[in-house]
Amino acid sequence: MARPLLPLLLPFAGIFAAGLCLTLCQSLGLFLPLGSTGPTPEHYATVLGSAAMQRSFLFTLYVSLVSALGSVTLGTGLGYMVWKLPARLRQTAVVYKVGLILPHVAVAFLVLLYFGQTGLLASLLHRLGLAPTPQDFPQVLYAGDGLGMILAYMFKGTPFAMLMTLAVLFGFDTRLLQTAAMLGAGRFHAFRRVTLPRLLPAMHSAFIILFLYAFGAFDIPFLLGESRPGMLAMRVYDIYFRKDLTERPQAMAILALMFAFTALFTMLYNALARRVDDRGRKL
Amino acid sequence: MLRHIFLAMLGILALAGAARAAGDIDAMTHADMLAAARGTEVRWHMWGGSDQINAWVDGYVATEAEKRFGITLVRVPMDAAVFVNKLLTEKAAGKDTGTMDLLWINGENFRNARQAGLLYGPFLDRMPSFRAYYDPEQSRYDFGFPVDGFEAPYGRAQFVFEYDSARVPNPPRNYAELKAWILANPGRFTYPQPPDFTGSAFIRQVFYATTGGHGQYMQGLDTKLYAKNAPAAWTWLNEIKPALWREGRTYPRDAAALDTLFARGEVDMCMSYHPAHAQMKILEKTYPGTVRTFVMEEGTISNTHFTAVPFNAPNKAGAMVVADFLMSPDAQLSKYLPANWGDLPALDVARLPAEQAGAFAAVDLGAATLPAGVLAGAAVPEIPSGYLELLENDWEKHVLDQ
Repeated sequence: MARPLLPLLLPFAGIFAAGLCLTLCQSLGLFLPLGSTGPTPEHYATVLGSAAMQRSFLFTLYVSLVSALGSVTLGTGLGYMVWKLPARLRQTAVVYKVGLILPHVAVAFLVLLYFGQTGLLASLLHRLGLAPTPQDFPQVLYAGDGLGMILAYMFKGTPFAMLMTLAVLFGFDTRLLQTAAMLGAGRFHAFRRVTLPRLLPAMHSAFIILFLYAFGAFDIPFLLGESRPGMLAMRVYDIYFRKDLTERPQAMAILALMFAFTALFTMLYNALARRVDDRGRKL
Repeated sequence: MLRHIFLAMLGILALAGAARAAGDIDAMTHADMLAAARGTEVRWHMWGGSDQINAWVDGYVATEAEKRFGITLVRVPMDAAVFVNKLLTEKAAGKDTGTMDLLWINGENFRNARQAGLLYGPFLDRMPSFRAYYDPEQSRYDFGFPVDGFEAPYGRAQFVFEYDSARVPNPPRNYAELKAWILANPGRFTYPQPPDFTGSAFIRQVFYATTGGHGQYMQGLDTKLYAKNAPAAWTWLNEIKPALWREGRTYPRDAAALDTLFARGEVDMCMSYHPAHAQMKILEKTYPGTVRTFVMEEGTISNTHFTAVPFNAPNKAGAMVVADFLMSPDAQLSKYLPANWGDLPALDVARLPAEQAGAFAAVDLGAATLPAGVLAGAAVPEIPSGYLELLENDWEKHVLDQ
């Protein structure tokens, strides 16, 4: 199965690996556009030693964790509810796929349009007399807590988590639930012991995919991100495109560190998820 | 023996031929370029963020290039930093024939491109429009970096503040009044986050205004002077910070984001590095008709923007013909008309024949644009780019992260 695909994989792996190699080299001060002086760890030291960069890292971690966790929880809940719907109504539930079709940038603009200080919600409240001036509308966007980005990511992520869980649920043998009911399990008990364990693998994959995307993505932070602490992707963009060429190794060092972190995170998460799942099954 | 001599002669001929082919473009006069450029295509890579400027290039410039020189002009929208990066990659990959013929460039992008050897030149002294109508002193430096004939001046911009006269009847006249106004109207002022071009220009002017003017900085970077003076600018910026939009916790990402905040009435003042920007926005119906502009008593920064030719441009002759045309009085006048673009001319109007000079003087810039005399009276030069980078980086440390 894998062998016939190998030639197709080669250019992809080649380009990806070459890009990664160049990033690593430049982060060490090699192959730079303005000439290099030999390998040096100083750019990593600069990046790791900067308090602003540490804040950016923690903030990026927070935004991506909250949005991925929120999307998976909400998506699983909604998916479960859609599955429980009568078959006729289930058809209408396809509207959830709108969020899947819209690109991230479009979703960011929607959030801007609805939640801005002079956005649609603010205008509505103004009409209703609840917010006499734009300043009275609560600051949802650009308030320094990343709420705008989390909203946008959840808008995109929730339908994705629904898709993942619904795929499992639609192939789910309902006789298992009937058996559980016959053995005396209540609805909650049946969900926790029978349905959830079967959903967990899909939820784990959804979480990891959403988390990794939010951790490295650029488009939503570009439109909805705050200046401080900036998302890591914006830090890289600013250094790469808008600052002096001599600072480029720092951008590359951040990218290399982000890559290392996400790889490590995925590995640890998968190992942990497997352990937890195994224990769940033994019980 | 004879055969050896023959071979040697062939070799010498071949060498001479190669040398001539390589030196060809450098030896071309403007007339040669015109002949070589007829029937070719010129791909102009330029910032594409303004519909009006794009329409002017696609309309007037492209039509005239076709009519006058038989050149097909193709505009390729791309940010300057992006094409500089692209050229860097091409240079590193040894790609001798690229895809870009002409660039719209200035400031640190020009310096980066020059230092990495990405530009063709010098070519400016071979441009007839430059020799006839331009003051060489005016474009000797680009952000303090010597031009050395590697780029051709094609327009001038000057920083202005924008306000709605219906909401703010008496705009501040200097930086002390600006600070008082900001503190009296919390949440109604902000500036784009440096290293955004406009936001960065704003903090440079605060640096000038709070440290006794621009004169002392013109000789290139003096780190001692900078270390002594910069704290005054950070103090000023930190004092207004709590009264900024969102209490200065966040800043608009770029000038366009600030424009949107201003147009929606979330802030009362805006700024632009383009004196006719407000008029353009009024004509576009994005800003109310009561928006006006002002400059400070301490002066506002002005700079020149340029065109340049990449080292691997496939059509250097065509690119230089277009660059020369853009410097010509006809193109400069068309560009100056607010309905087209409203960009300040780079040429020296005093060097024009009386009739043409009259045409420049007769241009109506619109009620929101300051008269050319007021702008010229307030113009101060850009800071050398060494300072620029220090200011942008230290702003993050001393203002954003405080």
